Amino acid sequence: MKQALFGYLQSKVTPGEAGDMLWATIYVLLVFAGVALAVLFMNWFERKVMAHMQVRMGPMRVGPHGLLQPIADALKLLLKEDVMPEKSDKLVFWFAPVAVCMTAFTAMLVVPFGRAHAITDMNIGVVFMLGVSSLSVLSIMMAGWSSNSHYPLLGGLRAGAQMVSYEIAMGLAVVSAVMLTSMSTGTGSLSMMEIVNQQFQQGRWFAFSFFPLGFIGFVVFAIAMVAETNRAPFDLPEAESELVAGYMTEYSGFRWSLFFLSEYTAMIAVSSIAVTLWLGGWLRPFPNLLSGHRWDLAFSWGPAFVALATAALCFFYVIKMSSIRAMRLNRLGLAALAAVLGALGLLMLLPPVASRIQDIFWFSIKVAGFMYLYVWYRTTFPRYRFDQLMKIGWKVLLPVSLGVVVLTALVGVRHELLPLVWRVR
Amino acid sequence: MKVVALLRKVFLLDLFAGLAVTFRHQTPGAIVTEQYPLERPTLAPRYRGQPKLVKDPLTGEILCNACGACALACPEKLITVESERDPQTKKKVLTGYRFDLSRCMFCGLCEEACPTEALDLTPEYELALYSREGMVFEREQMENGLQRKVYEK
Repeated sequence: MKQALFGYLQSKVTPGEAGDMLWATIYVLLVFAGVALAVLFMNWFERKVMAHMQVRMGPMRVGPHGLLQPIADALKLLLKEDVMPEKSDKLVFWFAPVAVCMTAFTAMLVVPFGRAHAITDMNIGVVFMLGVSSLSVLSIMMAGWSSNSHYPLLGGLRAGAQMVSYEIAMGLAVVSAVMLTSMSTGTGSLSMMEIVNQQFQQGRWFAFSFFPLGFIGFVVFAIAMVAETNRAPFDLPEAESELVAGYMTEYSGFRWSLFFLSEYTAMIAVSSIAVTLWLGGWLRPFPNLLSGHRWDLAFSWGPAFVALATAALCFFYVIKMSSIRAMRLNRLGLAALAAVLGALGLLMLLPPVASRIQDIFWFSIKVAGFMYLYVWYRTTFPRYRFDQLMKIGWKVLLPVSLGVVVLTALVGVRHELLPLVWRVR
Repeated sequence: MKVVALLRKVFLLDLFAGLAVTFRHQTPGAIVTEQYPLERPTLAPRYRGQPKLVKDPLTGEILCNACGACALACPEKLITVESERDPQTKKKVLTGYRFDLSRCMFCGLCEEACPTEALDLTPEYELALYSREGMVFEREQMENGLQRKVYEK
């Protein structure tokens, strides 16, 4: 019994590969809960960062520094009346948010959070992720069409055109990165795990391979993924100044929150593709250059350091927070959060804990960097016009990504095949 | 020149300049907004807000001599001064004062016209009320300010 329950924990592969149904289910639930929590946190983080960039405070009243605001928002959304337009296509209108959520979460199936921390590893991992996440355009079109209203229809059309045109540049950029996996072995791989392993073996992240080439591919992907997830400055499908809320106009309450959830989940999913393909996935910084037991230990204290630093920051704000009577509960809450974070940080200093969570930590901190970029773009850039959007997609990103693919192939052949030919001779 | 412009475009230099601007502004010290009900701004003493009839701090008597200069100065004609002559001293005595705040644009001309500095536009700015009728201040409100009902939590 105990063996059946915990036998998997000794293995170094994902539960999907080990064929352990129980642990696969547990991992699915963990990933679902983790992503949903991350989306909640992201809601707060986005509002806060945007507010600070616009020199205002953002949410401050619900919980210390507005930390409980997303929970209040979610509660409000769940309790709202569920309105369905009378002349809408009821079945499709009902199914669209469900489908968009399904696609967004299915894509998280192959995301490698660590060496053994993924639900499963597929040999077609990248293609699976791209394919599933691009299905979301179908549900957005469904939502736009079934609402039987002008703005959602236009939003859905725009989303369809935009996502289809950026998919190509994105796919070509992915191809250029996948080609790099065949560098030393001669056979490439589409598996997310194998791509990260290759970056470890080749001693560099793919963003720095063949110097400008890998980086250009990465930049093309980074631009295309913003357009792919309908975020500013490419948020034309939900442009509030012209289309109210685009395909989400007729949705409210729980259905709307499903769209919200899946939008942020899709952001996390494409960011994790970018991290896996170009930024070394779960690998810590300089795994080859600064190798050895001592460096391993030092880097494994990264999460503990971050937790302790956050605790210190919380504590600093407890002291700085105004001492008005109305804020007393908030101060206490923030102090409690600081204490919990500090305790967690101390716990993470223990080597067995540290070595077990460091993969997940390095992966999520890279994804968090992308999330910050998303927010940063949103506050900085004005929205593109639709013709500009199409021009960037077809006339800039597509040729550049094609060029990157061809050049990567040529340089790769020169690097790998020619020495091989000479040796045979 | 054209080459420089093209290079700027290729390396997205303008976009990076914009990103730098937003990044620089996100220090918490740069925040200019306040949490209004908890933190209240202190306004300049010459801010023109709620009107008040000032009393003499020594004698506690009202400074107004009912000359009606404020009513004449008001471009909106919203001030009504009621007075009657004291038979003994032959001086005007203020009997009623009406100030229609709903029409006031806080120009401050009444305050300037007052020869005895009896009318003052104070920095008090919380003037929201539940009814239009309440916006017409009688003499009592002009002297004592708005008496709000304070609710216990």
